[in-house]
Parts: sequence; C-alpha cells; structure tokens
Amino acid sequence: MIMNSITFYSLVKREVSRFAKVAIQTIFAPLISTGLYLIIFSYSFKSREVVGNGIPYINFIVPGLIMMSLIQNSFANTSSSLIGAKYNGNIVDFLLAPFSYIELTLGFMIGGIVRGMLVGSVIYLVSILFYGGKVAHPLLAILFAFLVSSTFSLLGIIAGLWAEKFDHVSIFSNFFITPLTFLSGVFYSVKGLPGIWSKVSLFNPVFYMVDATRYAFVGQSDMNPSLSLVIITVLAVGLLMLVTYLFKIGYKVKS
Amino acid sequence: MSVAIEIQNINKRYGDLEALKDINLTIDQGEFFGLLGPNGAGKSTLIGILGGLVNKDFGRITVLGKDIISNYRETKKSLGIVPQEVTFDPYFNVRETLEIQSGYFGIKNNDHKINELLEALDLTDKAEIGPRQLSGGMKRRLLIAKALVHDPEIIVLDEPTAGVDVELRNSLWDYVIKLNQQGKTIILTTHYLEEAETLCDRIAIMNKGEIVKIDTKENLINSIDKKLVSVKFANSVAGLADKLAGTNCKVDEDDNRIEIEASKNDLNDLLQFINNLDLHIVDMNIESAKLEDVFIKLTNLGSESDDNE
Repeated sequence: MIMNSITFYSLVKREVSRFAKVAIQTIFAPLISTGLYLIIFSYSFKSREVVGNGIPYINFIVPGLIMMSLIQNSFANTSSSLIGAKYNGNIVDFLLAPFSYIELTLGFMIGGIVRGMLVGSVIYLVSILFYGGKVAHPLLAILFAFLVSSTFSLLGIIAGLWAEKFDHVSIFSNFFITPLTFLSGVFYSVKGLPGIWSKVSLFNPVFYMVDATRYAFVGQSDMNPSLSLVIITVLAVGLLMLVTYLFKIGYKVKS
Repeated sequence: MSVAIEIQNINKRYGDLEALKDINLTIDQGEFFGLLGPNGAGKSTLIGILGGLVNKDFGRITVLGKDIISNYRETKKSLGIVPQEVTFDPYFNVRETLEIQSGYFGIKNNDHKINELLEALDLTDKAEIGPRQLSGGMKRRLLIAKALVHDPEIIVLDEPTAGVDVELRNSLWDYVIKLNQQGKTIILTTHYLEEAETLCDRIAIMNKGEIVKIDTKENLINSIDKKLVSVKFANSVAGLADKLAGTNCKVDEDDNRIEIEASKNDLNDLLQFINNLDLHIVDMNIESAKLEDVFIKLTNLGSESDDNE
C-alpha cells in the first residue's frame, strides 16, 4: 500500500497548520501587496481598455493578479517549509517516518495548494469591490487555480530540496519565478507585444496559466484555453513524477 | 531468540573516506546492545543507514526479518531512532509535536502514550511550550519522546544523554531499562562508557569504519588482563615505595594505602608479598579492568583521532 490515510493526513495537517500559525506573513501580507496593485491600477487606468480585447483594464488585470499571488504563495509555502526543515534539522522527521514517496510529494504539494488557493480566493473576494466579481466560467477558474498551484507547489519542493540556505530559495524566486510571472501577460496582452516578443512569450509556461485563467474570468484569451489546459496538466504531472523521484533518491537530503 | 536487526556486508564511502567497511552484525530481540567507538568511527552513519537517513553503497539490513529498502514503511514503524543532532520543528509546541509525530506513524488519538512519555521524560509542565523556549537538555528529551511515540519494538539511542543533567539522565535510563524489561530491543551509542558498562548486555566497538570487537560486556572486560589491588593498612606505609620499586604502584602515605596494578597471573605472588609485609590490613579491594580500558586498547584512542562523523 502506498498511502496510509492517517500518515498522509498528518503531513497535510502539519503543512497547513505551519502557514496558518504565521497567517499575517503568509495570508495577509500577499493580500496587502495585491490589494495595492488593484487600487493603483484601477485608479490609474480607470477609463482604459486593453488593446484588441475591448474589456476594461481592471477586468483584464484581476485574473492575472490572482494567478500571480497564487503562484508566489504556493511556491513560497513548499520551498520555505522544506528549507526551514533542513535548516532546523527536522527534515529527519520526514525521513525517519514511514512515508511513501508519493505521500511526501502529495502532502507537501497539498499544503502549497491550500495556501495558494486560499490567498487567491481572498484576493478574488477583495477584487469584487473593484470590478464586480463576474466570473465567466467559475469551474474552469477553480480547475486552473488547482493545476497552477499544484505546479508551483511542486516547483517549490524542488527549490526547497535543492537549496542549501534561504538565499538559494530567493535565487529561484527572484531570477526564475518573478521574471516568468511578470513577463507572462499579467499586466498586458501578449498579442499587443511587438514582433518577436509575442512569439518568445509562447515559451513561457506561466503565460498559458495566466491566459487560461483570464479566459475563465472574462471569456477571452490569446490562446485556445484547451491547449493551455493540456500544457499546464502535462507540466504538473511531469513535475509530480520528478518530485516523487527526488524524494525516492533522497536528493540533497540523504547523504 | 529471534533476530531484531541483521546487518550484512554494509559498506559506505564518502569520497575517499571509507565510512563503513563491510559491517556485519546481528542484534537479537530484547537485547540491550551498545555500539561504541570514537568520533568518526562510523556509528552514526550505520544508524543513519538503518533509519533511512543515509544511502548505503552496498549490503543489506533487515529489521525483524524485513528488508529496510523493499519494506521500508514496515521497518520504519518498528524503529524508534533518536538522532544525535538536536533538531526541532519551531512551529509546534511539545504536545503538538508529539501529536503530529504520532500521526506520521499512523496513530490517531495517542494522548495516553504522549502523557506517559511527557511524564517519564519530565516534560509534562513544558507540554504547551514552543521548542525555542526549551533548554538543550529539554530539546533532547523531546527528541527521545518523538522516537518513542509510536511504541517501536527497536529503540536506537544515538548519544541520547549528551547535555542532559545527571538526575534526568538517571530517570531516562530507568525508563529505558523498563522498556527493555518489557521486551524492547535497545541499541545505544554513548560517549559515557560507564553508561554502556552499566546498561548493555553486549557491545560492539567500532573504529575507522570497522567493528573491531563484538562480545558480551563481561568477555570484553575479561579480555583485558589487569587487576587493580588496593590495600589499606593500620600501620604507616612509609618506605614501602622502595620495596615495590619496579611495579606499577601508587603509595599514599597519608591514607596508609597502596594501589598496585597487576596481571591475573601475578595476583597470587602479589597477595603473598602483601601478606609477608608484616603490616595489619584493614581494608582490601581488587578491581577488574573497566570497559574504558578495553575501549582505549581497541581504538588506540589518544594516539590518533578523526572527526568525520
């Protein structure tokens, strides 16, 4: 048997309790920063529409901002949990206990998903004040949120396992996650980019995540949302298999 | 008696360093087994392989007949390992830590065992305190409680009493002896050789990645041909030093006492010599060698050392 319900549930509970105990830092801080984006953009570009889309800028930007917070928080949850466990030495708790490798993977991943989706949901609730809260395809929005937070939770696990100190996680975050997110079309339509840059954006996986979520919210997107769904799903499943393998070989946690 | 742990041909190398060289060891169920050796001997590496913290290069280990690789989930449930390094999860207080740990081992509602451990390790009044507020000794006791929370059949204690004060050390040993009497297998590594001498039935001495000797405590001690004869006289011992010149002896003129180190074969001659001294004996004691003597002899401690562990 590769899953024991109590063992698995205990890891999920630990991961969720961990960030819940520092909710000011893990839930409210991202809410404040994204809330500021909403205030600034809604007032600065009040009467603007996005080129080619014909929708108000605030409606355009909300799905992107939600997705950006979700990405950052699901990544931060798993990466900080693992690097913290390595730093404090309690990583041995996970190695000495009878977890299967898939339990470890899913346990940490669900912790990241819960935080990502919780932050995303709270930001959505706040955004209602700014744009009314209409969501064209709510179930699709939830599905994309789940897949994207899974993907970045898994990337966070890889970063946490790879990192030897907290600085290393920042490298991963500042030089990889943030540029990919900011260049994914959160704040602009990739279609409107000049020449080669709109083509380059197609190699950025975060673009498909933001674009698909925007489809779920406003019913319009640059790419076919089915293609985005396939790309995101393949990425998530591939990372799930990779992380399970890394736990199996004890990558950077076993000598 | 059935086998608790069987270690076959375990090898481990870190770069050029051979941390473990072909280790073979069988520990029976119910034993109180000591694993001794200087720093860098390979004790913690061996325990790390047993618990899944270290990848072995070669060899096989079974726990209660099950392979630690192919049946790792079952073998981990049978093992309670107290790692040498003090670690803690800063987000959870003592009780929460033990509840989470119980859950990891598939146990729900483990309050009875948790309360028993808190009591036995004198942590009851610290149950609601975060680990950062615990002293070093308390953190180590929490580590011990974590290792025992799932009531494992085999308990591995890697330097469990380092930094723990004498009183608590004694209460910890009382508890561990009780567990051993209940049938649990105990494996202990310690730097306090008196602890090993008092507690262990059988001892393996490791040095530089090898087991250099494995035997019962009595046989190990008897392997050292040394007796320490201490005699207290009613009369002054002044001048005895000259008569005892050439022997390994100490003369304490203030206490009228002599201490002579002799081999077993010389014991008869020595006692006749003392009897012929024409002094009135008020007290006499003959001590055998200590585990420490065996340890020093087998590990050449003092002549060289390394700190690779």
